[in-house]
Amino acid sequence: MIWLEGVSYLRAGGRALEDVTLGVSGGELVVVQGPTGSGKSSLLAVAAGARAPDSGAVWIAERNIAGLQASSLPYVRRNVGYLPPDPLLIPDETALENVMLALAVRGEPIEAAEGDARETLAMVADSAWEGRLARSLSTGQQRLVALARALVGPPPLVVLDEPASGMGGDDREGIARALVWARERGCAVLCATSDPSFAQILVDTGGRRVYLEGGRIAGGPAIGLVPTCSPEPENANSPEAIRLSGRRSSGEESS
Amino acid sequence: MTVAWILRRARRQVASQRRALWAAVGSFLVLGLVSGATVLGLRVTRAWMGTVGQGVHVIAFLRDEMEADQAIQLANALRQRPGVARVRLVEPAEALARLRDAVRSSPATGTWLKDLEPGYFPRSIEVALAASADLPQRAAQLSRRLRGLAGVADVDAMTNGVARLGAWVRFGQGLGWAVVLAAGIAALSFLVSTVLRGREARGRQAQVLVILGETSTNIRLPANITLAAAGLTGVLAALLVLRLAWPALLAAVEGALGIMPTPAGFFLGFWESAIALLAAPMLGWGLGYLSTPVPGWVDA
Repeated sequence: MIWLEGVSYLRAGGRALEDVTLGVSGGELVVVQGPTGSGKSSLLAVAAGARAPDSGAVWIAERNIAGLQASSLPYVRRNVGYLPPDPLLIPDETALENVMLALAVRGEPIEAAEGDARETLAMVADSAWEGRLARSLSTGQQRLVALARALVGPPPLVVLDEPASGMGGDDREGIARALVWARERGCAVLCATSDPSFAQILVDTGGRRVYLEGGRIAGGPAIGLVPTCSPEPENANSPEAIRLSGRRSSGEESS
Repeated sequence: MTVAWILRRARRQVASQRRALWAAVGSFLVLGLVSGATVLGLRVTRAWMGTVGQGVHVIAFLRDEMEADQAIQLANALRQRPGVARVRLVEPAEALARLRDAVRSSPATGTWLKDLEPGYFPRSIEVALAASADLPQRAAQLSRRLRGLAGVADVDAMTNGVARLGAWVRFGQGLGWAVVLAAGIAALSFLVSTVLRGREARGRQAQVLVILGETSTNIRLPANITLAAAGLTGVLAALLVLRLAWPALLAAVEGALGIMPTPAGFFLGFWESAIALLAAPMLGWGLGYLSTPVPGWVDA
């Protein structure tokens, strides 16, 4: 569902990502773990189509967003539920309306969107907040509302940056359950965390862990053993891609 | 995003930015009033100038020695001059009749008129010039030429009065333009600053929608719609105020100046109103575009 190939990204302080190759298939949960400053947020922002990579390819919803015109980007982003480090809610709208916005953008009618949003908000957060304005919520509550907004639908790709940051035990369990819920519905889930215990909870639910250090994949399989990335990347048959995916080359298959 | 969603977001903007929108409506109202009053004011002053231009500007009093044929020839020659609208030869009998009419309509009627005879009055030629901004100069030039003619005893150029009137009208127009320009700039600046004041908040909202995959056109549409509606409301109110207040205002000004009231029906035409009703929403739509910055990429 998402395929990042040789992605590099520069930020003001220096190189944030260096030649990162990573794939997440539909129905798969990948946990990117790494210390603060390892490039997790940059990786997720690039994967969500929020930032442009400086080099490499990012395939989302059958399109390489690195080569897209700015006017085409929105149509790709609609396929991604993204929780950025800053929850980015509209402060003058209620928690429910903020969640509904994700469905509004995808063209869902108001009544249907309201039902879906209410359901997702109840699953992730507390349905008692739905009528509260976003600006009246605490930072943790805002993060949960933003998480519900990322999961509502659910979209084919879910990209979550530190979803459990500052959360207590019950909330962390709830978030993990929500991610499993999304995965079971065929979503490709990419989640970053610097918290090893939360990463372990996700791995225990069947997630694949990838370590990121200094902007590079440092450990863990960058691509799942059964990659079903859609679309097939342009050079999916390159030796490196074949090695990472564990597939055999076409020559090997025929022999 | 469907039309229903966009309208819902537009209603949300109206509810959350009520004061800013009323300020925008007020600015459009002031802009409409200033523009409308300028057009109407210019129309009235043009009409006044036309009235001034219809009067007699130069009167040449002819010597007794000049024969009637010569007087007719002179009048015909004057008619051929460029910028001359009308020439009339006034015989002594007519001059006396006019004097009698004028005295009869005044409260101080005297018996001395009975002794007057046409012979006391000279034959004269009245010249009306075509109305234009340089009318006083042309009147002065014509009077100089007439004074140089042998058969002309005296010339009443009336240049003093006409020139003073023209100068005052020009001064009034200049002052009016300055006031109109200042008011227009003030209203426009207020409108732009009102709209741009919430730019940061709207930019943050736009960032949220960009992340969710909304197109920049749809992100800006609610602001486009609300400000276009503010423009339409403001200009409609301005047209209504002008329609109701302008005749009374004009009558009050003309009454204060002691002049004949301008005939009724002096208002903006259909096309002028239509252009205003189109231009204001278009300006509002454009301001809506400026009021919402939409980032291509997100710095979350």
